[in-house]
Amino acid sequence: MMQRAADVANRLLAGEVAAGARAIRWLDDRDPRGPEVLAAVYPQTGRAQVVGVTGPPGAGKSTLTDTLVTEWRKRGQRVAVIAVDPSSPFTGGAILGDRVRMSRHALDPGVFIRSLGTRGQAGGLSRSTHDACLVFDAMGYDIILVETVGVGQDEIDVVNLAHTTVIIAVPGLGDEIQAVKAGLMEAGDIFVVNKADRDGYDATHRQMELMLHLRAQTVTDQRWHVPLLRAVAAKGEGADAIVDAIAAHRAWLDGHGDFISRSRMRAREQVLSLVRDALADRAVSISGDAIMHRVETRQLDPYAAAEQIVATLSGKSAAA
Amino acid sequence: MTTFKRPLRVLLAKLGMDTHTVGVTVIGHALREAGMEVIFTGLKQTPEMVCAAAVQEDVDVVGISTLSAGHTRSLPKLARLLREAGAGDKLLVAGGVIPEEDKPILEQAGVDRIFTMGSDTRDIVAYLESWWAQRLAEDAA
Ligand code: B12
Ligand SMILES: Nc1nc2c(ncn2[C@@H]2O[C@H](COP(=O)(O)OP(=O)(O)OP(=O)(O)O)[C@@H](O)[C@H]2O)c(=O)[nH]1
Ligand SMILES: [Mg+2]
Repeated sequence: MMQRAADVANRLLAGEVAAGARAIRWLDDRDPRGPEVLAAVYPQTGRAQVVGVTGPPGAGKSTLTDTLVTEWRKRGQRVAVIAVDPSSPFTGGAILGDRVRMSRHALDPGVFIRSLGTRGQAGGLSRSTHDACLVFDAMGYDIILVETVGVGQDEIDVVNLAHTTVIIAVPGLGDEIQAVKAGLMEAGDIFVVNKADRDGYDATHRQMELMLHLRAQTVTDQRWHVPLLRAVAAKGEGADAIVDAIAAHRAWLDGHGDFISRSRMRAREQVLSLVRDALADRAVSISGDAIMHRVETRQLDPYAAAEQIVATLSGKSAAA
Repeated sequence: MTTFKRPLRVLLAKLGMDTHTVGVTVIGHALREAGMEVIFTGLKQTPEMVCAAAVQEDVDVVGISTLSAGHTRSLPKLARLLREAGAGDKLLVAGGVIPEEDKPILEQAGVDRIFTMGSDTRDIVAYLESWWAQRLAEDAA
């Protein structure tokens, strides 16, 4: 039974879960019907607030997500969650376990949880994460929460995707800046120290405070006051204040025209990354093995090879 | 030209109060090693929860691990819920401690295949792969 893109698009616009799920599958699998669906629903997007949740492995991102969803539901918001976990670089397989912590929302029709494998993409997201956000946006979800892979250093692609980035740190990952790496410090809109029930909370909190202070001195855009919040996600503590802060950030973005400018930046990033992918695919198919072989055998250096390929590509597109 | 790749997506779940986790973990890792995307729902699921997750995740296969009885009620119910949700085309497989005499009941109710104690994970992988190849061929036709 071959499903048609137009049907799926109409059904997802009407809010049908199975249709949204199928559209995301097509986009994730790079099935040509995926972009067809997106084309049909794209005009209906642009309303949802995309919230990124990132932090080191095991920081409590999923547990916190679960509590934030509960809080949003109390406030009558419909929420979609995109939970990204790493795919094996060797087999392509993945174990996606984030939804284990979100079980209590399984039967709530106002919550849609989708797990995605990174499928070879670095940066903490899958290449389909943008697309999945657009699908959920078109389905009318108010909040789209994206839980990234547990990040190490500066795999912070989520910043280019989210309107609001929440960064989670935890005590006990070492007393240096281990808790949150420098790249993350510059990126977040809201900081949370989770596992505040653990030893070392005070030290981690102080350290984060210091780093935010330093950031305030270096970052020129100081209009948004970056909050530092405390949470014990495992007990549901702190969720209300975090949801308040996320709402305040949305209001701030709206008030300063930044919601639109961040949305524009996201759109731009997505277009450029699609262009990069498409060009890279085409470069590989055009250049074939010949140029690569000359590089391998040291007859041609990599820069010259790249230039040749780009020249061929521009020749092709000019002729087309 | 973009590459069109469809890894098999499998939901693995445990129903009710059954807390035996070894089998489902072993299966999860075997499927991951075979290049499949495995989504865990965790323990203490109801058939309704598993059905909702299967639809949201748009998986191809729903796998239930059951070692604490109750499967003659919960599995037929899950099969029915999946059909009602328009997800009857997903493969439904089960494993664990399932007595011989229960198997016909489950198969009758819509469980496609049962793998009990001692099943070789390679056979499970091979079964899923051949089912998937056939499904892809049908879709392409
Ligand atoms: C280890 C064990 C425990 C451990 C579990 C630890 C854990 N975290 O998992 C502990 C001690 C906690 C435990 C507790 C209990 N257990 Co116990 N336990 C076992 C035991 C000895 C081994 C199970 C196991 O891990 N096997 C190894 C794995 C790899 O095998 P497997 O799960 O069967 O999986 C294989 C296949 O079945 C298949 N498979 C499994 N799942 C799936 C899923 C899919 C999708 C597919 C395709 C395939 C597949 O593939 C796997 C690889 O071959 C079995 C006896 C037995 N021989 O099975 C009893 C057994 C399952 N337990 C039993 C009982 C009764 C209990 C208790 C009720 C005991 C009690 N009175 O307190 C409690 C209840 C726990 C609960 N609430 O569920 C009974 C169940 C009887 C029944 N179903 O009618 C058994 C059969 C023992 C017996 N002979 O009486 N148990
Ligand atoms: N003590 C304590 N433990 C917590 C808290 N929040 C989460 N945990 C535990 O931390 C562990 C990891 O939680 P997850 O929510 O899975 O963490 P995660 O960041 O999503 O993990 P990955 O997705 O694997 O990177 C679990 O055992 C949680 O129960 C907390 O506030 N206090
Ligand atoms: Mg997680």
